[in-house]
Amino acid sequence: MVDSSVLTKKFQKEMNAGIASLVLLSVLDKSDEPMYGYQIAKLLEEYSGDASFMKQGALYPVLHSLENSGLLESKVEPSVSGPPRRYYEITAEGRETLVIWQGVWKQMKSFVDRAIKGG
Amino acid sequence: MIKSVEEYLDLLKIELKDSDAATAQDALADAEEHLRVALASLREKQPEVSEEEALNQVIEQYGSPEETASAYREVERRTPTGLVREVRAQEGSAIKRFLGVYDDPKAWGALLYMLISMITGIVYFTWVVTGLSLSLSLAIFIFGLLFAVFFTLSLRGLALLEGRIVEGLLGIRMPRRSTFLQKDMTWFERLKTNLTDKHVWLAVVYFLLQLPLGVLYFSVIVTLFSLSVSFMAAPLIQSIADFPLLSIGEMRYYLPSWSTPLFLLIGFLIWTITMHLGRWIGQVHGKYAKMFLVTD
Repeated sequence: MVDSSVLTKKFQKEMNAGIASLVLLSVLDKSDEPMYGYQIAKLLEEYSGDASFMKQGALYPVLHSLENSGLLESKVEPSVSGPPRRYYEITAEGRETLVIWQGVWKQMKSFVDRAIKGG
Repeated sequence: MIKSVEEYLDLLKIELKDSDAATAQDALADAEEHLRVALASLREKQPEVSEEEALNQVIEQYGSPEETASAYREVERRTPTGLVREVRAQEGSAIKRFLGVYDDPKAWGALLYMLISMITGIVYFTWVVTGLSLSLSLAIFIFGLLFAVFFTLSLRGLALLEGRIVEGLLGIRMPRRSTFLQKDMTWFERLKTNLTDKHVWLAVVYFLLQLPLGVLYFSVIVTLFSLSVSFMAAPLIQSIADFPLLSIGEMRYYLPSWSTPLFLLIGFLIWTITMHLGRWIGQVHGKYAKMFLVTD
């Protein structure tokens, strides 16, 4: 018998794959100014409360991938207290994509809820 | 228990040893930025916690080196690099493959790279030669040290910039982040770390060689382009204006009109072969750039 916590972890990881992009885009869309990785991670920690959905380290490759697809832009700025920080900002294309993704998410959410409830 | 940020980075490096070198460099830069910022902020809030304990709290949230490495590998697997996209023509017949080069963004990117590499080559060469000679001659003064540190740091920046150009135009995965040095170092230590870092020296060699290479690339592309255009234009110009192919004294030589399609075809073939050559050079140059500019 497979350990259920291992299965749960795997399930969580598979779900996170798509959701992380949606969450990161939404956070940067709401923010008035560019944010750096640690700032985003802290904000997500606040949103998730006690439950931890994903490791903070897993956010960065997703940020790179979104930047690579042109949905985000980034710039490095030196900081007074530590290493230079990379600030991320959503692009116009990112905002357009986010609207579509939010629609997909709404549909997906109601579909999953109905499937769980059974009608 | 991981005792320092450096130890974490070393472990992460080991985890990522089979991944793409550029991915590994990005992952290390991200981890370094995050861990240092998070550590500083936690220590500020809870000064009573020991450095090691604070670091392990931070790592607990950031993810262990194994978890972080697997997150990068996972995303990397799904992300295409730069301009690259699948070229369907690859699977077709020989003629389709031959002409498919026009549909390949890598070939166009490589041509553009070869054109601009002369300009970037001149800029890199000038910067490196000026920087090296000024660093050496100013070494007798105290501020010479500052200049040398600034110059070696600028090389890292230039390496990142060249990496972005290479990835954008040649489609070879290069680092998206630069590596940076620890903050709590004296100027002298900083200079020492930079001078003993083999990547700084490899970058110097790369930038110096970029001038002859850039000139060569530019000349090859411009020569082949002019050759192909001349072949295609000669019969056309001759039919529109009274412009002979060759004139010696009173004698004027014209191309026979039946040869017009032949010349057009030759010009077209030369250009197509140039595109193939460009794509090939682009790929070779990309691998070479990766060898010299990416931290392993």
